Amino acid sequence: MTTSTIIQTIVVLGIVAVALVYVLRRVFKTMGSKGGGDCGCGCGKNCKHRSGKEF
Amino acid sequence: MNSEQNNNIHNNDVNRLLDGEPVGMTVQVVRVMGDGAFRQRLLEMGFVRGAQVTVLKNAPLRDPVEYMIMGSHISLRHSEAAQIEVTDKDAQFCDMEDSFNGTVETTVAGVDPLNDNVLRIALIGNPNCGKTSLFNYVTGAKEKVGNYGGVTVDSKEGWFTIGGRRVQLVDLPGTYSLTEYSPEEMYVRTYIRDNHPDAILNIVDAGNLERNLYLTTQVMDMNIPMVIALNMWDELEKSGDKLDVEMMSRLLGARMIPLTAYNGRGVKEVLEAAMEVIDESEKETLHHNVNYGNLIEDCLKELGQMCPGLDRYTVLKIIENDQHAIQLVDGQEGGEQVKKAATEMRKRIERDYNNDITSIITDLKYGFVRGALAEVLTPNPERATGETKPGYTLDRLLTNRWLALPILLVLMWLMFEATFTLGAYPQEWIENGIGWIGEWIGQTMPEGILRDLIVDGIIGGVGGVLVFLPQILILFFFISLLEDSGYMARAAFIVDRIMHRVGLHGKSFIPYLIGFGCGVPAIMATRTLENRRDRLVTILTVPFMSCSARLPAYLLLVAAFFTANQGLILMSIYLVGIVVAAITAIVLSKTILKHDKSQFVMELPPYRQPTARNAVIHMWSKGKQYLQKMATIILAASIIVWALGYFPRHDGQTPQEQIENSYMGQMGKAIEPLVEPLGFNWQMGVSVLTGAAAKEIVVSTMGVLYTGESDLDEESTSLKEKLQSATRLDGKPVFDSIVAYSFMLFILLYFPCIAALAAIKREAGWKWVAFEVVYTTGVAWLVSFLFYQIARMLA
Repeated sequence: MTTSTIIQTIVVLGIVAVALVYVLRRVFKTMGSKGGGDCGCGCGKNCKHRSGKEF
Repeated sequence: MNSEQNNNIHNNDVNRLLDGEPVGMTVQVVRVMGDGAFRQRLLEMGFVRGAQVTVLKNAPLRDPVEYMIMGSHISLRHSEAAQIEVTDKDAQFCDMEDSFNGTVETTVAGVDPLNDNVLRIALIGNPNCGKTSLFNYVTGAKEKVGNYGGVTVDSKEGWFTIGGRRVQLVDLPGTYSLTEYSPEEMYVRTYIRDNHPDAILNIVDAGNLERNLYLTTQVMDMNIPMVIALNMWDELEKSGDKLDVEMMSRLLGARMIPLTAYNGRGVKEVLEAAMEVIDESEKETLHHNVNYGNLIEDCLKELGQMCPGLDRYTVLKIIENDQHAIQLVDGQEGGEQVKKAATEMRKRIERDYNNDITSIITDLKYGFVRGALAEVLTPNPERATGETKPGYTLDRLLTNRWLALPILLVLMWLMFEATFTLGAYPQEWIENGIGWIGEWIGQTMPEGILRDLIVDGIIGGVGGVLVFLPQILILFFFISLLEDSGYMARAAFIVDRIMHRVGLHGKSFIPYLIGFGCGVPAIMATRTLENRRDRLVTILTVPFMSCSARLPAYLLLVAAFFTANQGLILMSIYLVGIVVAAITAIVLSKTILKHDKSQFVMELPPYRQPTARNAVIHMWSKGKQYLQKMATIILAASIIVWALGYFPRHDGQTPQEQIENSYMGQMGKAIEPLVEPLGFNWQMGVSVLTGAAAKEIVVSTMGVLYTGESDLDEESTSLKEKLQSATRLDGKPVFDSIVAYSFMLFILLYFPCIAALAAIKREAGWKWVAFEVVYTTGVAWLVSFLFYQIARMLA
């Protein structure tokens, strides 16, 4: 095994681990969610970040 | 109710039932029979004593019937119309001569609007009056709007800044009234009681004031600072009707501002007026309330003194025997005396008016509204009936007895056909672009695991889904046009009899409609159904409405294995979903969820010219969601699927042998016996499993598994071509049109994604999640099995 192969394998396994954690977190978060709206700012929850218009 | 009331009519006609009136006939309401929520809803929607009703038409299947009352088009089933007693339109009611008594004034002490550190304005109004359009305009939100009621089911909060002050705007579900009979009424009422908004922005449809101002009379009794926005002012101006806004404001004691929410005309003035009434509320103010006449006013005064902490609205509700209002005094000191006094007052009022309390109060409120409008509204003399309303000629065609269903099917077919034909060009460009990127990376990067991940996992998986973005955009553009025009509500009118026959509530139509986009908001939209069994039947059948996430799989398979009638094939999949939902509803409502059929009155929205701006906004919002999903869950799932298909590595194996022996291959082989009778191979089996996270992942999994099978030195081809050329170990093709259709049926019917299951858990509980998973997957397996085996026998 060359150094390059080892580095590539570590990077790929890291990416796969992150993806796995992301999917699992998302699944558990969704199943445990109590509902509520999406504020529409793009964060995916009702965060009140959106500033709205100025009159 | 007793028959004496009916004798108070100066005519020689015997009273009839609305159900028996022929099309074109205009009659006058005498009374609504029965009791409970449905009767209350009819009264609130204007079926009050003396109101004129015109029979417009029967639905194509003879039921329901469309009526016009107070300028609104209402759909009622024959059995429901049979509860309304009517008489000749010229009959005179001798007990209705003095129902307009103007207003009385109540002094309300000043409050500090910043006592909870937030300036809060709540939007209140009838369904489909434009609250969410205004909310989106003011806050910059992209909440769903539609030309039908019931789109908003819970509160949405947003913010805006005016004069340097930051204000919270709350969009509440549309409601006809603030009684205790339906979930949306209770939601709005509880919200106001618990959150004490600093001002209420009452949105009314300027073209339908009589019905819309009924809710206003209830808000007036709450003594909260209020501004009335006359929305759709442009339509009132076009109709030629004249409204004296100044005088109306004086009569109601609340500022009224013309507004056209969709283009922002009048928005600034409405918000400025709301801020002024908030500022004025800091000091003692006079509030106008409906004057109900001496007897009721005396009762209100007397009972109000017995419970000083309660507002006029709640006191009136206690007299009306509203259980939620009574709970507020229950157990309190003097509560029993209050209840006893209220009962005596109610009996006295009912005896004096010779009617039941609900009808008396509703009649008086409508009497007040009618009296006020008589002073300020001058109808266009050229407009004699509602038949000249825009779209009426078109409506006669769209809801024609013989043409309505064919037109509905042709419109659906056109939508799907356009999705295919128009979407094919941009799809090819994206496909070529992705192919080029994959090829370039494959040639540029050194051979190794990282290159495999990027080319086979990320580009193969995400790219396989990304290519369908144009079709998603086109489909939602058409759906938006149909929704905004008001046609979707007509589609509900056309198929209402069928829905009733299969045991579905009329209100179920809205969740089903939303379900074609996404199952999660559709399941939440069932909250407007009062009866739990109605709700459960709808929740459990909504996932059969094919959501947009399943569309990429259909588009891929139809394009690859059906050369002709692609739009028709796609439409047939959606229709199978509807038929399975109907059969499920029949079975559930006759077995474990057996219940009496609920009654429902539906308002048909006016036809409106859809705007390109709205359609593009809707389309873009869907496109953005699709791209966001691709950059998150689909990307992550593709990486995991790739890793499971890549490891463990064995030297000297072909790519196909490698993937067959991978973890994914082993999992696939384990479930292969279950899916083999449906015509599926193991790759298809694992694709439906991974689709649990999100349905688009079915396609991205196929993309990863089939890209991984090919040698990199092969000429790069699209996923469609790879599926067309995929072979089994015996050399036979994996797919043909029968396998593809069987696979599409399974994808359509099997268990919904995690997000939809979570929504079912929230709304119905774990027990029903388990039921849904087992039931839908069982149905999917059975339908695919029967289709595949029968089609193979016939082929």
